[in-house]
Amino acid sequence: MLIYGLINSAVLALMALGFNLTFGISGVANFSYGAIYVVAGFLTWTLINQVGLPYFPSALITIVAVGIAGVYMYRLILKRIRGLVISEVIATFGIGLVLLELLRYLGFMGFEYSLPMFIKGSVEIGDTYVDIQRLVIIGAGILLITALYLFTHHTKLGLAFRGIAQEEHTSLAVGINPDRIASFSMGMGSALGAFAAIVILPLGTITVDGGYDVLINALSVCIVGGLGSTFGVIIASFIIGYAQTMTATYLSPHWIMIVSLCAILIILAVKPSGILGHQKELEERV
Amino acid sequence: MRIILRLVLVCLFTILFVVPSFAQQPITLGIPTSLKLIEGAEGNKAAILATEEINAKGGVQVGKEKRLLKTESLDIRDGEPGVPTSEALLGIEKLILDQKIYAAVVGNFRSEALLAAMDIYSKYKVPNIGTIAMAPAFQQKILGDKEKYKYSFRNCLDSVYLVKYISGLMGHIQKEFKYNKVFIATQDVLWATATGGLMEKWFKENGWTVVGNEKYPTGASDFSSSLMKAKSGQAQVILPIFDMPTSGVLVKQWRSMKIPALMAGFISPLSGTKAWKTFEGEIDGAINVMFEIGHIPVKAYPPSGKFYDAYKVRWKDEIQSGHGVSGAYDAVYVLAKAIEKAGTLDVDQVTTAIAGTDLAGAVGRIRYDAGHQLAFGNDPKVTAAAAAMQWQKGKRVNIFPESIAEAKIEKPSWIK
Repeated sequence: MLIYGLINSAVLALMALGFNLTFGISGVANFSYGAIYVVAGFLTWTLINQVGLPYFPSALITIVAVGIAGVYMYRLILKRIRGLVISEVIATFGIGLVLLELLRYLGFMGFEYSLPMFIKGSVEIGDTYVDIQRLVIIGAGILLITALYLFTHHTKLGLAFRGIAQEEHTSLAVGINPDRIASFSMGMGSALGAFAAIVILPLGTITVDGGYDVLINALSVCIVGGLGSTFGVIIASFIIGYAQTMTATYLSPHWIMIVSLCAILIILAVKPSGILGHQKELEERV
Repeated sequence: MRIILRLVLVCLFTILFVVPSFAQQPITLGIPTSLKLIEGAEGNKAAILATEEINAKGGVQVGKEKRLLKTESLDIRDGEPGVPTSEALLGIEKLILDQKIYAAVVGNFRSEALLAAMDIYSKYKVPNIGTIAMAPAFQQKILGDKEKYKYSFRNCLDSVYLVKYISGLMGHIQKEFKYNKVFIATQDVLWATATGGLMEKWFKENGWTVVGNEKYPTGASDFSSSLMKAKSGQAQVILPIFDMPTSGVLVKQWRSMKIPALMAGFISPLSGTKAWKTFEGEIDGAINVMFEIGHIPVKAYPPSGKFYDAYKVRWKDEIQSGHGVSGAYDAVYVLAKAIEKAGTLDVDQVTTAIAGTDLAGAVGRIRYDAGHQLAFGNDPKVTAAAAAMQWQKGKRVNIFPESIAEAKIEKPSWIK
């Protein structure tokens, strides 16, 4: 349970980091995130199986392409409605629906869509066998979090990201263009979603409907952790990840899907800003 | 006199040109189903294949004339999540009224939609042969009002027969290996949990110990908790019942965690030949029930292989689903034979002929019971048949029922 709880937590963290990054920087809740994740999976599959490219170039092309698509999604659509929260939600949710239904229309149905594992086989930890791909996910999670930390603390663009996140109007005064940075954050959030898809999807199969599950998981982790807080996301991933694994072990897997929803309800009742969030802290204090 | 002459000319023109053109109108078969789902898409292709084969031989003999068949497919989406039954019904009605279909094949995915559609078919007197939805309520509805629902037939396995096949397979495993401890894992959807419940009852009545019976929400992709429970409970067999795409992960985890129990049941993504590549060979040893033969060729019954090969040649791809496709192919032949037997397109006479069908189809011998359900058994020469196959070194090998078995069950290397 300890091992699989850890793996489940890493999966949730990977799924949520991209969504969280975009929201934390640009304030846009990207409800097309689940669709982007699925598109990344199908794009990689197509590059490998239809174009004939090797796995890692396909993965790299997918991450870059999805990132660029994210930038243009912001520049062409979201830029015009930025700050109008309801419009942003409707627009991103609409984009997500269009993407998923387009995939369905294009015939991405059936059971044959799966990405290859990085390393096949399993290892014995204690008295439990764990497949190596799941350990890769933990490694990828640690790598991504470290890379994100270094990026946001030690690069010019990363510091600009933090500047916008902390105080957008003041950052204007030091020459940071909020729209440009917001579009980059959208692109980077999408690229992180693609990265998560490439690491997680080899465990199973790629399905159009999987996009909705990814969105719900990402949303619940971000709400519990505090929208915009990376460390909040990590903590929430562990809480929800272990709660799901314990529920499956001690109650029944049947109840797994309500764990994250219960977590959202509890956090909204107790601390609406989330564990480490700051979005509504002032209102909470008042 | 001129008026009479004109009338005669009009009559002659009608007799010479209009009547024959009506006579040569093809008979339209509707295919209302979920075309974006694999069973619907492949069922559609199988029905088209049968139509093309019949047309290549000149069409259907209706009395003294040959009539061609044509198909009209419509995606009614009822198998997709969130699509209301009413939308599926509107689609069927549209096919009937706009395309003037004579009969329908393949049909609904969801049983509630099928049960509602039966009233529409009855209202418009449209013979229909469904090949996907599996609820036994279908037969009950027909037996409740035989005259009203006489137009509906089912050409695939229903859930009662599914339980019979799975229990037969479990009995076979018990006989071969003296196993009597099972763990049941099902998808949390009605047909799967109901099948799991019926199997649990059967196991208990037949001296098995049920170590656990767990339900997984659709979309689940980590089955480690159940696998660990199966291992700690010393289960010798794991019975999975799933039709969601992510359920193949269960088998991959079973192998990677080296759970010492046979994996035998129904996991939809394991049915097709592409599953070996999709799951990178990590499904070796898994046993899967194919709902109807024809989705897998059976050496002991050549018509199943003939259909399988014809499908492969026509569509340049092998059948990947385990349900509804061979039944769809046969459904067109059942209709064609019934029309020929009736010698007319009179719907009542044709439905009577369908009810009396006795045909060697791809699914086995086709005969319908009083509830218009295709009769299933263990010998395809006598009835329609399902099959259980095991993935053995990249090949699907039939292992049950014994009449069609081509090999013995092989235990995976980590099971003593």
